[in-house]
Amino acid sequence: MVNRASLPRLMAILAIVALLALGGCMPAAPGAPAAPAPVKAGVKTLTIAQDTDPGTADPQLTTEEYFLPLNLYDRLVEAVTTTPGKSELQPGLAEKWDVTPDGLKYTFHLRKGAKFHNGDILTADDVIFTFDRMLDPAIKALNTDFLDMIAGATARMDGKATSTSGLKKIDDNTVEITLAAPFAPFLANLATPAGSIFSKKYVEKIGKDFGIKPVGTGPFKLDSWTYNSELQLSAFDDYFRGRPKFDQLIMKIVPEAQTQALMFRKGELDAFDLDYARSQIPEFKKDAQWKDRIVSGPRVGTYYMSINSKIPPFDNPKVREAVMYAIDRQTLIDKLYYGTGIPAKGILAPGLAGYNPDLPGFKYDPEKAKALLKEAGFPNGIEMTLNQTVDSPSTLKMNEALQAMLAQVGIKAEIKQMDSAAWSGTRKEGKLGSYTSSWSADFNDPDNFIYTFFAPRNAVARSWNYENKAVQDQLEKARVMTDMQARYKLYQEIEKTIVYQDFAFVPLFHLEHLFVVHPKVKNFKVSWNGWSNMPYYGIEIVE
Amino acid sequence: MLRYLLRRLLQAIPVIIGTTFLTFILLEVVPGDPIAMMMKEHIDPDVVERVRKEMHLDDPWPQRYVRYMAGVLRGDFGESYKTRRDVGELLANAFPATLALTASALLVAWGIGIPAGIIAATRPYSPSDHAMTVFALLGVSVPVFWLGLLFQLIFGWKLGWLPISGFKGVQYLIMPAIVLGASSAAVIARLTRSSLLEVMGSDYIRTARAKGLRNLIVLVRHALKNSLLPVVTVMAIQVAELLSGAVITESVFGIPGVGRVSVKAIQQRDFPLLMGSVIMAVVLVVVGNLIADISYAYLDPRIRYE
Repeated sequence: MVNRASLPRLMAILAIVALLALGGCMPAAPGAPAAPAPVKAGVKTLTIAQDTDPGTADPQLTTEEYFLPLNLYDRLVEAVTTTPGKSELQPGLAEKWDVTPDGLKYTFHLRKGAKFHNGDILTADDVIFTFDRMLDPAIKALNTDFLDMIAGATARMDGKATSTSGLKKIDDNTVEITLAAPFAPFLANLATPAGSIFSKKYVEKIGKDFGIKPVGTGPFKLDSWTYNSELQLSAFDDYFRGRPKFDQLIMKIVPEAQTQALMFRKGELDAFDLDYARSQIPEFKKDAQWKDRIVSGPRVGTYYMSINSKIPPFDNPKVREAVMYAIDRQTLIDKLYYGTGIPAKGILAPGLAGYNPDLPGFKYDPEKAKALLKEAGFPNGIEMTLNQTVDSPSTLKMNEALQAMLAQVGIKAEIKQMDSAAWSGTRKEGKLGSYTSSWSADFNDPDNFIYTFFAPRNAVARSWNYENKAVQDQLEKARVMTDMQARYKLYQEIEKTIVYQDFAFVPLFHLEHLFVVHPKVKNFKVSWNGWSNMPYYGIEIVE
Repeated sequence: MLRYLLRRLLQAIPVIIGTTFLTFILLEVVPGDPIAMMMKEHIDPDVVERVRKEMHLDDPWPQRYVRYMAGVLRGDFGESYKTRRDVGELLANAFPATLALTASALLVAWGIGIPAGIIAATRPYSPSDHAMTVFALLGVSVPVFWLGLLFQLIFGWKLGWLPISGFKGVQYLIMPAIVLGASSAAVIARLTRSSLLEVMGSDYIRTARAKGLRNLIVLVRHALKNSLLPVVTVMAIQVAELLSGAVITESVFGIPGVGRVSVKAIQQRDFPLLMGSVIMAVVLVVVGNLIADISYAYLDPRIRYE
């Protein structure tokens, strides 16, 4: 059975297999819809990149992958960036709306004739279907907290109702939404990606594949999606605000920041998000070719260090206070972020409604920190942990800097690195020690920061274990207030108590978000909240 | 032979059950919650609790394991938690890219490795042998991501000969194939050299030479075939290894292969996706070894399978 001349034959077979594999696999791009079309001459294209594939285009199923939702869909109301760091609620798919004085009933008058990418016309049924779908337990949605204030939402989520009682169709172009209790930021909530509107007919037809083959009313439609490689979008001719000023939007998935930077320099990318490679900020700033091509905007967000009040000695407020003065915020900004930020004094970020510019802040004062530790009964210092995930070298840099600063006042911080799922799992249990992180606004309201962080269950799930009944009762109260000025005032009081009396939140800084863009890209604006994912509708491409 | 094949394939079943079970238990033991991981900074304990229930994550583990494996038997590998995509589809879509990368990398590895090993073995301790040793040492020790970046910098950007990243044609595979193939080539070259040297010293080679055969004939007809037995073993392992995904190369060059899918699955605790990747890797290893065993019989007539 053994052939004498088998070796050459074996080698030949291997070579043929290899060639077949090469030839056979290359042309057929793996992945969803159709094969990507080649980029044609004269077609105005914007090519950008991000490091992870969004996975799904369904904003009900993701809390962070918003590139597709911001460009494929519209919302009833839109948060439009006016000037850097500022936003304004403007009509979207709803032309206008009325709110009853008690803040419970919202009536939305829909734009007539807004078209979906597949030709369907938007009606009230689509809006009701979309919002009800988020709350439908069969969908297993992750973004329910943007809509769970609607009357009947809880019953719907618990499977006790087959529809949401607070969603009502008045006529084809009018939707009435009733809330379970007044919720001042409701409109702002609807302006987030989670409030994106889908076509009922289409979603019912396509079913589970909606996340891969999405259809919206937005300025761009999805043409092809090669998972982990590339997404191609093109201008939607019938967009109700008018066709975008360029033809094609390509999102490449490039995991390595260094690779992205090279692609940008070579011209394979038109814009480069410097969040991916902060160490390259000085390089681009010095480079004559690029220094004038850096676009920067504030991030309506706060970087902070967490403190777990259940882990001794941090149950002692004096110890927590000592940490506040032990950190040299300006040096962190200068050394780690090349001066592109300002020290934070509280929880809320500049640009956010209700931001308090008059907070005193914590000056770097190692002597005071030492004295406070002594007062707390720890003249020889304390030990703590700084916890982070293994895959973030930038967090490690930051933690090493903090470690050095804390050591100056006698706090011995051990940096503990763990797998990201273990990190988030431990944190969810309320058992994680200190960590550094950041939060950027989903919508322009203090509730998005303060409730998200300090509502009792949330404070545990973030491993802060903050407990102050008076403050936490006020949080609930602020949610249902309708007098905005009084509401903001209350939030400012809450913020002061949490940061300057309970010392439960260590503000670090607010950073700018920098992008560098090729000259052919005009009108590139950082979104009001400073997110990496942004709507690209306003951009122009000049060749 | 057919019976042998069948028996070997049947042996794969307990291997698959064993590995999936171990993977499953490991995932149970390590800390981490896929829903908390998906929500990241947007963590909301109420949502986590509800979605865990909706996804049946709170059911006892034996029940979940059996449910999953029952699905696998019906050809249903489940749905990825994070992307909600069909696991079978995700892996099937990623496989062609990995297959192309593997094939081209092995073309480089074997195409360079075997000849280099032969040259080195036929002229032991000559300059070309030393050069090969240095090349092998470099190939094994240079990290893939570093070499990848260097290539991108030189050939992608400075010279502009090749695309930096992506997967849209043969030109996109040249750099990754060389970078990924380099370390495998080095291993193959060293192995071929030592194995061939050993065979060249054996009695039957002396006999062949004594018959007056030319050096080349002695080498190709008599020595090489026997010396390739250990090399084929390693080649089979390389095939299986690379087909399970070369995550670093895939990441550096933006190739949408299975390596990136399965590493993400581990990070996300995306259990169905991870189980799918494990099953695929096991099948590949089993098949790879089987092919190696069969090729032994071709290389060495004394080996027979009944």
